[in-house]
Amino acid sequence: MQSSGLQPDSAVLAWAAQKFIPWSIKISTMTDGDYDYLIKLLALGDSGVGKTTFLYRYTDNKFNPKFITTVGIDFREKRVVYNSRGPNGSSGKAFKVHLQLWDTAGQERFRSLTTAFFRDAMGFLLMFDLTSQQSFLNVRNWMSQLQANAYCENPDIVLIGNKADLSDQREVNERQAKDLADKYGIPYFETSAATGQNVEKSVDTLLDLIMKRMEQCVDKTQVSDTANGGSSGKLESAKPEDRKCAC
Amino acid sequence: MSEAVDLSFLLDTERDLILQVLQRDEELRKAEERRIRRLKNELLEIRRKGAKRSSQRYSERTCARCQQSLGRVSPKANTCRGCNHLVCRDCRSYSINSTWRCKVCIKEAELKKATGDWFYDQRVNRFANRPGSDVVRLSLRHKPAASKRETVGQTLLQQAQRADPKNSPGTWQKSPQDRRKGPSLPSEASVPQDAKSDTESMENMSLDGYRPGSTGMAASSRRNSLDKAASLQEGKQTPGPTGSSVSTLTVPIHSRDAHPSDLENEVHLESQSGASADENETIFKKNPRRILRPADYTKSVIDLRPEDMGRETGSLGDRSKSVPGLNTEMDEVEEDIDNLVEIHRRRTARNSIRSGTSSSTLGSMVSLYSEAGDFGSVSVTGEIAFSLSYELQTQTLLINVKECRQLAYADEAKKRSNPYVKTYLLPDKSRQGKRKTTIKRNTVNPLYNEYLKYEINKSLLLGRTLQFSVWHHDRFGRNTFLGEVEIPMNSWNFESQVEECLPLHGKAGADSSSPQYKGELVVSMKYIPPAKHLGASTSRKGKWEEGGELQVWIKEAKNLTAAKSGGTSDSFVKGYLLPHRNKGTKRKTPVAKKTLNPHYNHTFVYNRINPEDLQHICLELTVWDREPLASNDFLGGVRLGIGNGMSNGQVVDWMDSTGEEVSLWQKMRQYPGSWAEGTLQLRSTMAKTRL
Repeated sequence: MQSSGLQPDSAVLAWAAQKFIPWSIKISTMTDGDYDYLIKLLALGDSGVGKTTFLYRYTDNKFNPKFITTVGIDFREKRVVYNSRGPNGSSGKAFKVHLQLWDTAGQERFRSLTTAFFRDAMGFLLMFDLTSQQSFLNVRNWMSQLQANAYCENPDIVLIGNKADLSDQREVNERQAKDLADKYGIPYFETSAATGQNVEKSVDTLLDLIMKRMEQCVDKTQVSDTANGGSSGKLESAKPEDRKCAC
Repeated sequence: MSEAVDLSFLLDTERDLILQVLQRDEELRKAEERRIRRLKNELLEIRRKGAKRSSQRYSERTCARCQQSLGRVSPKANTCRGCNHLVCRDCRSYSINSTWRCKVCIKEAELKKATGDWFYDQRVNRFANRPGSDVVRLSLRHKPAASKRETVGQTLLQQAQRADPKNSPGTWQKSPQDRRKGPSLPSEASVPQDAKSDTESMENMSLDGYRPGSTGMAASSRRNSLDKAASLQEGKQTPGPTGSSVSTLTVPIHSRDAHPSDLENEVHLESQSGASADENETIFKKNPRRILRPADYTKSVIDLRPEDMGRETGSLGDRSKSVPGLNTEMDEVEEDIDNLVEIHRRRTARNSIRSGTSSSTLGSMVSLYSEAGDFGSVSVTGEIAFSLSYELQTQTLLINVKECRQLAYADEAKKRSNPYVKTYLLPDKSRQGKRKTTIKRNTVNPLYNEYLKYEINKSLLLGRTLQFSVWHHDRFGRNTFLGEVEIPMNSWNFESQVEECLPLHGKAGADSSSPQYKGELVVSMKYIPPAKHLGASTSRKGKWEEGGELQVWIKEAKNLTAAKSGGTSDSFVKGYLLPHRNKGTKRKTPVAKKTLNPHYNHTFVYNRINPEDLQHICLELTVWDREPLASNDFLGGVRLGIGNGMSNGQVVDWMDSTGEEVSLWQKMRQYPGSWAEGTLQLRSTMAKTRL
């Protein structure tokens, strides 16, 4: 499914234009602002790794096997409920989260446009195709693109090897991918938009990372100048800090 | 922050698709903005209920939130670690690990999360110091805080909506404005939202309904771009004849400037329509897909370029609303959560906890500005005895406050007064110009024999007026004015150090008698005429940069009035290039925190200024204390122009520069290409009294 040079023909574009119609109807009911957090995620990776189908599976729980190259950028939305967990594992409050899932064109020719959108996302789904060694090799490039263009140098990312259902065509083994993810200190999932395997789980994991970072950011700014002693000096140590931004 | 993204490679169909995506994004963003606004209002509500509002001195022993008395509590255990206020148990929220914060702090943290400010703040940090050859020019035009929420989608949509005179067919811009209304339509006059934060005002816009023309938000105008999708022409708006407006907007990097951090731009758009109205007509006819929206009035910041200054005069009257002294002093409340937090923390907390004396600051601050601190109304009696001397070596004025006699009772029934004496060297009524004696308890004949000192140059001193005022100190901040007396220093005989005794009198006619001293602003200006200037930045925006460039280097301010407790201000300078008091000509410096002598070192750049425009425009610079939760406080301002009361052949009230304001402007005109620097006395009001 490598199609970097592919120019979308007008028929495809027309189809693509149409596919928004039902979607936009759906959105109109979703722009009510009745949610607690707006979280913006962005999927990136080589062309044809299945970003669009992955997101389609995630938001609509459907699979579209047809390859339609994404024109520049697109996004989908989904409302989810996020349960914050207390430090001791007790389940905390439930939040309504509105996810805006940006889909980017993998094609090189849209690169300047797509990378520009990196800076607006709070977390990233970095995807490659388990049946394409090349798409996996390019993960490094995408990582450096992210580091250069995201809102901070170490944003929250999950690495996703898609098309796990096509086991006979597999070119990337799990160990390889896991090692790479470990090297970057990010979670790794093998997913299938066709079967739905791990799709939700990977997004939820990313969301969880973001929500935790959010808490830490806010905590830090409030605790930053503690002049008062008192009984409450333990908050910081209760939340260990490792790879988070200096915020 | 967001560099220009070159989209010329896109096919028309692709462009349209992407535009549609961006419009959907915009809808989402609008919903988000509404939501954020709602959240902020909630916080404001909570804070309003809190005790730490400036109208009252708050006791150290009361809860900062509900004002309940705390009794004998340990300050340590009852201080919120977020804001350092003392807080009662009811006003706390405990977290799982049994730590707590006060409700406002909790709310603020929630807001920071809910609004996404945690994210935007980090991003701002990251991209603030973008390296690169253009960094200087970028920084020159950078609008720091206002638009940290700007997204790429927004920028692109703006870009798309921006008409480009040079290459109309190939680009996806156009902004058919539905500008049917005349230049000064009445609804503008009733748009009072100037005083909104960026997010807030964005919401206003969206709340107000869709404006096809849309404000600089890529946000606005889905219809706009639907139009685009339908008929991609237009894009041919020609620059207006005088074209002195600001071109920064035409360049993507500056699109931040177009960010509607307030609604002033509304005024603007209407006025520019004349020339292009016909075009718009045709476009709308071509455009069957136009969707009808409620509240179909148009406002836009997007195509500021082709503007004729003369046309705007019609709506000038309304515009002046943001200028203090005319209407409200509501302006510039661009808050973000960060600032909410900042202020919340700073406000009185530390001071009041640290020392008893400073807890009184709030009360007397108030007395300064509004006299709201005067809770009594006594008929003034008595006199004050004092002596003055001036030490040349140390350049110090020494005031020996000896005693007061037969003061009025603050509480007539209980025959009580706890008087203290306060002095100012008028017109400096700033906080750091205030001196106070101790408080004498329960007496109407207090003996002080205390020295109050001012370090001040003798020649400066001679221009001042020493004001004594006597106040009854009330434990609960309800101070009562007991009388005052003023002594012009120019007629004082410092040789004789005999004791003077002067009768106290009631309040003089407030501040109207003498113009208030508000400090000075140091500004350097340079006008670069068109020809010399072109090479500077051809790479990115050469095409647009016709006309000269006006650079205004805001260097520093001196002796600003203190607006915050602790005797400081968090000031910034805002600039408008009149007659356009709108988003397009609005420039702001970053906020200089906690100082009355801020160094801004920030440059405002205005493009497309022709040499002949310089006699028709006027640079208005105002200094504000940033007060994110309320209206910003006006600290002073200047107007730079030729000051002849005329602009483009019409009588205008804002062309009222005098003295140094005029001479600096003229100096700049006279020597194009070189800096003209001046120190300007800040006006205490921008009211147009001089006409």
